[in-house]
Amino acid sequence: MSEKEHQDHPVYWKVYVTLVVLLCISVAGPHLGILWVTLITAFGVALLKANLVVQNFMHLRVERRFIKWMLITTLVLVALFLAGTMPDIMKHQGLRWVNNAAKAEVARGIPLHPEAAEAAESPSGGEHVQNAALANGSDDPAPQNFDAKGTFNSVCATCHGQDGKGDGPAGGALNPKPADFTDPAFWKANADSVLFKAIKEGGASVGKSPMMVAWGGTYNDAQIHALLDYIKATFKPKS
Amino acid sequence: MKPIATTRSATGIPTGRLAIWWGVASEIVIFGGLLGAYVMHRIGHPEWANAAAHTHTMIGATNTFVLLSSSFTAVLGHQAAERGDGRKAGMFLVFTIIGAFLFLTIKSFEWASEIREGFTIQANGFWSFYYTAAGLHAAHVLAGAIVMIFVARDAFRNRELQRVEYVGIYWHFVDVIWIFLFPLLYIAK
Repeated sequence: MSEKEHQDHPVYWKVYVTLVVLLCISVAGPHLGILWVTLITAFGVALLKANLVVQNFMHLRVERRFIKWMLITTLVLVALFLAGTMPDIMKHQGLRWVNNAAKAEVARGIPLHPEAAEAAESPSGGEHVQNAALANGSDDPAPQNFDAKGTFNSVCATCHGQDGKGDGPAGGALNPKPADFTDPAFWKANADSVLFKAIKEGGASVGKSPMMVAWGGTYNDAQIHALLDYIKATFKPKS
Repeated sequence: MKPIATTRSATGIPTGRLAIWWGVASEIVIFGGLLGAYVMHRIGHPEWANAAAHTHTMIGATNTFVLLSSSFTAVLGHQAAERGDGRKAGMFLVFTIIGAFLFLTIKSFEWASEIREGFTIQANGFWSFYYTAAGLHAAHVLAGAIVMIFVARDAFRNRELQRVEYVGIYWHFVDVIWIFLFPLLYIAK
């Protein structure tokens, strides 16, 4: 290092004290319970702290420009990689595809009724307990908090369509085509018990398309009945 | 006599320091990809907030303090090495090494209690990222601590004092990674 660089050395203990104060701010910030304060104190302060360490402790401030460009290049490469994978990871459905596994995980993780919420809070925690609570339908016959319409529109409609005609965005590519709930022949050919089983255990369990996924692990019996009632009330042709 | 690669430089930067910076640059890609993937999954999976609520903020904050302090002693060691005081540089590195093992000790107790509560790496996506990211970081802490033992031993004998700065650059980078891991895994509930 040249003599000039020596003179440029920061006062290290001042940098250190600043870092510790910033740490206290980032811990205290979220206690206010305001979202934007939390975001700024958590990530804004992290950027500030990282910058202090990089500039003063790693001496990037007085480092040759070659190093700075080297680091910027790798950061740009990371950003490119992230931008390329972002749509696949952050979106769970697009025009002609749907990520059933991701959707099912969100559905499993977000409690649909108070009992499941309690199960999720229990220390043995995680989704396994919650799963059991959801799958064990007979214990909870009253799905008053279950939003059948919302579930249909966010989960079923990706293939069966918002109008129940089997023309959902992800359904077009499927063979055989998803069932059309507005077709009287569909309701004549399938008893309620068959439809219930198809939703719970998958299409293949009743000799229908294996593309119809089993939802028994995500929704309990009462919720599946509620879904079926909603589909009947909304789409079944009145004869 | 020293190998020629350590004595010549096309960039005007000492070869050892250039190599450490290249190492840091490649680590940016490793941790950048991992943490970026975590952020994207976290936004796509609102239910992860339920799992994140179980991490211990105060333990994370304590470990942040330990790493910041060890970075401080590392830079003081660098300052001493620049002044040609190998003994002092070695002493500061010893403090940094103590910080590294304190960090790892705290982390092992933290993980043990979480695993006992049933939050294993297989519990769900959040815990998978939690153990992968913090585990990769902890591996870097351990590697840095081991290397610093050798650098400190040389420094005490007033040998290869420039390495105190090189290992310091690596150590500060490990600190910077934790500065980002802390809000990502502990603060964002």
